[in-house]
Amino acid sequence: MSETLHLNIDRADGSLQRLIGLVERRGFHIDGISMADMPSDGGSARRIALTVRGRDDSRCVDTLGRQIDRLYGVSRTAPVVAFQSEAA
Amino acid sequence: MSAAAPALQTAPEPAERSGAALLVSTLERLGVEVVFGYPGGAIMPVYDALTGTSLRHILVRHEQAAAFAADAYARRSGKVGVCMATSGPGATNLITGIANAMMDSIPMVCITGNVAQGLMGTDSFQEIDILGVTLPIVKHSILVRDPADVPAAVEEAFHIAASGRPGPVLIDLPKDVQVGKTRQDFGFHYPNVGSTLDHDAIAAAAEAVRAAERPLIYVGGGVKIGRAVEALRRFADATGIPSVSTLNALGSIPTDAPGTLGMLGMHGTRAANEAVQESDLLIVLGARFDDRATGKLAEFAPHARIVHFDIDAAEISKLRPATVAVAGELAPGIEALAAHLAATPLAIDPWMIRCQSRARGTAARYDAPGEGVYAPALLKALSERAGDEFVAACDVGQHQMWAAQHCRFARPEAHLTSGGLGAMGFGLPAGIGAKLADPDAPVVVIAGDGGFMMNIQELATARRYGIAVKVLLLDNSGLGLVRQWQQLFFDKNYSEVDLSDNPDFVRVAEAFGVEAFRIDRRDQVEAGIERLLAADGPCLAHVIIDPRENVWPLVPPGKNNAEMMEAS
Repeated sequence: MSETLHLNIDRADGSLQRLIGLVERRGFHIDGISMADMPSDGGSARRIALTVRGRDDSRCVDTLGRQIDRLYGVSRTAPVVAFQSEAA
Repeated sequence: MSAAAPALQTAPEPAERSGAALLVSTLERLGVEVVFGYPGGAIMPVYDALTGTSLRHILVRHEQAAAFAADAYARRSGKVGVCMATSGPGATNLITGIANAMMDSIPMVCITGNVAQGLMGTDSFQEIDILGVTLPIVKHSILVRDPADVPAAVEEAFHIAASGRPGPVLIDLPKDVQVGKTRQDFGFHYPNVGSTLDHDAIAAAAEAVRAAERPLIYVGGGVKIGRAVEALRRFADATGIPSVSTLNALGSIPTDAPGTLGMLGMHGTRAANEAVQESDLLIVLGARFDDRATGKLAEFAPHARIVHFDIDAAEISKLRPATVAVAGELAPGIEALAAHLAATPLAIDPWMIRCQSRARGTAARYDAPGEGVYAPALLKALSERAGDEFVAACDVGQHQMWAAQHCRFARPEAHLTSGGLGAMGFGLPAGIGAKLADPDAPVVVIAGDGGFMMNIQELATARRYGIAVKVLLLDNSGLGLVRQWQQLFFDKNYSEVDLSDNPDFVRVAEAFGVEAFRIDRRDQVEAGIERLLAADGPCLAHVIIDPRENVWPLVPPGKNNAEMMEAS
C-alpha cells in the first residue's frame, strides 16, 4: 500500500540525495515524487510530496517518518503520529 | 548629548582571515584539544593554519586510524572527536571510521579538504564526492561554499554531532574556501534545548513495571552516551530489578554487581538470555534490538511487554513494538520512573532469586586443562589487575567476545568496542585515542592477529608521541571467529582463514621502536600482565593461544536466544 509523505526540504548540498537515499535504504519503493518551490520562503526551501511503498510487510511508514525527522533541513508538514501507550 | 559624552562603542571590524584560519580558530574556541589527521594536497591550507595554534595534531599513518582514534577519544572523553583528511583517497580512507561512529552513535566531526569548487564535478585529481559517498553513514554533512560560512558550519557540526543521539558529521571544505578571505569571525551559539518529559508515558511505564512479575532491564549503549549511568545504577539498586547488557553497554552497572546477568545475545551469558526469554516486561534503556542481541527477533522475549526509553524516537517500535514508549533524555526519564516506584517495594523476590541463582550456577569456568594460555582466564586476570581505571580498546573477533564475557568493567567507558559495525582494525587506533583522552588510565588494546595487522602501522604513531598504550595481542594464527563458524556451520571447510605465516610480531613491534615480549605458556601470564601494565611507554605482549579455541556459548544465526550451544 502506498502512502504519501509531505515534506519541506532545504536547498542545501546533498539534501535531495540524502532524503531519497534514506527512503530507499530503509526498504521503500518510491512510486511518485513531486517538488515545488516555496517562493514565500525566499526560495530557500522546497515542498516535496513523496509516495512510498514498503518492499515487504515489515516496513513501517511511521518508522520511516521518524527516520526522516532525524534529518536536518527536512521537516514533515503533516502532523507527526504520537506513540500510543497501551493501558497497563 | 554633550560633546564630552563618550562615543558609542563599536566593535572594531575583524581582520580579514582565510577560511582555513577560521576553521582552526573555531575549533580552538569550541575547546578542541586533539585532532587526528593526515595531510594532503586539498587540505594544505588547513595544515598551514594549524601551525602555532593550541590544537594538538596527531599524525596517524592511515586516515582510517584517524577516524578510529577520534571515535575512541570521544567514547572515552565524552567530547566530540575530530579527524581530518585530504580529498579523494584521504577522504575515502576515513569512511570505515565514519561508519563505525554512526553505528555506535559516537559524536565525531570529520573535516575533509576538497578540490576547488570550480573543479568539483569535473573528475579532477583526487576529487571524490565525499559528501555523496558518506550520506548513508553520517548524522549530517555540510559542504561549505563560502569562507564566511566556516564558523557557522563548524559550530553547527559540533552541535549536531553531540546533541540528541550523537553521531558523525562531515564538513567538506573545498580548497578555494580554505584560502578565500573573509571578515566573518563568529558563528552561531547553539543553546542546549532541554527535552520535556512525557509524564503520561512515565506513569504508564511505572504501572507496567508494578504489574510485572518478571521485569528485566535491558541496558543499551544509550545509557552511557546519555550520561544516565548514575540514574540507571540508582534505579536498579532501588528496585532490585535484574539487568542484562548489550555489548556496548557493559560496565554501565559494574559487571560484577549482583543483579547484573551479563551480556545478552549471540555470545551472551545463559543467565542473561534465559532471563530475557522468561521475562514478562523488558525495560529497554537506550538500546535498539540489534540482531546480535535479539537472535531470531520473532522469538525474542516472547512473553515480555516492552517499555522503551530512547532519545531517538525512530528507534522505538522500529523492530519490536513498544507497549509504552518514552522518547526523550534517558536520565530524567529513568529518575522519573524511579520516583514513581519509590513508594512501595516491588514484589519480585522469587524472580530476583531465580535470576541470581542461575547466574551463579552458569558462571564461566576458568579451569581449562593444559599448559597453554587460556585467553578468557588471561583477560579476566588482566582486567582485575588493572583495576577500576582499566580501559580496554578491543578489536573485532573472538578476543573481542572473550573480553566482553570475561573482563571486569567498572564503568562503561572502560570498554571501547566496535559494536554495530564490527570493524577489524579498530583496536590499536582506538587505544591511542583513548589513551590521549585519559592519559592516567591503563589502556590496553585487546586484539587478534587478523585485526591487529589491519592498522599495525599505528605502532609508529604510539611510539612517535610516546603514547603508552599497551597491546595484548592474542594470536591464534588465523581468523578465529570465521574459522569457528566454518567449523560449526560450513562443514569444517576452512576457507581462507589461515594466518599461520604471520610475521614475528615481537620483532615487528621492536622494529617500530616499541617494547615487546612473548607469552607462550600459562605460567608466564601473571608476570606478563605485570610487565605489560608496568611498561612506561607503548608495549606489546604477543600471546600465543590455541587456534582451536572457540567462543562459548553461541546462539547460532537465525535461532532464538534460548538455543545456546556450549563447548562439547
